Amino acid sequence: MIEQLNVSLASARLAVDAVLKAARSNDAPLAVAVVDSSCQMVYFNRQDGATAVDVRTAERKAYTAAFIGRDTALWRLQILHDGRTVADWANPNLTTLHGGWTLRRASQVIGGIGVSGSGNEDRDEQLALKGAEALAQLAVDDWRTRRDARPIRDRSAVHA
Amino acid sequence: MFQQHRLGLAQAERARDAILAALTRNDNPIALAVADEHGQPILLLRQDGAPARMLLRARAKAYTAAMLGLDTVEFRDNHVKARERTLDDWGDPMLTTLQGGVAIRASGQVVGGIAMSGNTTNRDEALARIGLSAMGLLA
Repeated sequence: MIEQLNVSLASARLAVDAVLKAARSNDAPLAVAVVDSSCQMVYFNRQDGATAVDVRTAERKAYTAAFIGRDTALWRLQILHDGRTVADWANPNLTTLHGGWTLRRASQVIGGIGVSGSGNEDRDEQLALKGAEALAQLAVDDWRTRRDARPIRDRSAVHA
Repeated sequence: MFQQHRLGLAQAERARDAILAALTRNDNPIALAVADEHGQPILLLRQDGAPARMLLRARAKAYTAAMLGLDTVEFRDNHVKARERTLDDWGDPMLTTLQGGVAIRASGQVVGGIAMSGNTTNRDEALARIGLSAMGLLA
């Protein structure tokens, strides 16, 4: 038997909420997807006005980040450098569009997050990172709690 | 130009909260899908421990209910079984006859579909209806 860390529904919701909270009023409506370590969807939100294309793209970005174990922007650079194309993987779900981040815990891949809809790949990437950061902060808080019994301030109140 | 009433994320979130609150300890981990009138997902959710097929099914059920404007049971009984057809006749691989998908209507129009998976198909539909009524739409 092996122990596999995996993104939980609670942490997936936390990540999606962090992205939506980070979006400004002048950002176009977003689709945000979180998949687990097996690249299967855990939580997905589509803001009013985001399109079917965004649904598909957000899902594929999250899938790619979890499947490849690299953020989609970094993976793009890597395969460009290696002289490969996405077709080499023979997997129609893979994409090199920016905006997919690998979610890790204790150096294991626990999932992926993908954002689409802002109309700009790099803004998608920036926003998706907010979700990945929220989970990283969770890991830091856990680690702190184990070393130090003093309570951590409630971050949900800070973000609200 | 024409103006359309469409389902929003706010309604989907209301359904999500009502369904999660209605779950009991006897329920299996569930998957939930809320789709707009084109069957495109607005909110997808899979609880810890629910197999991936549960969400695939929930998505297919919500898609079917939204696209056809029919609850999946109605589709199965009145359209597939009663006319001795098979799903292949519709030529759409996303359609399903599994119980648990419910069409969402507002002011007489189909605006989407909501579907559950994870428990018995009866329980799935009952939970989907809890979500539907929590949306607070006037059918």
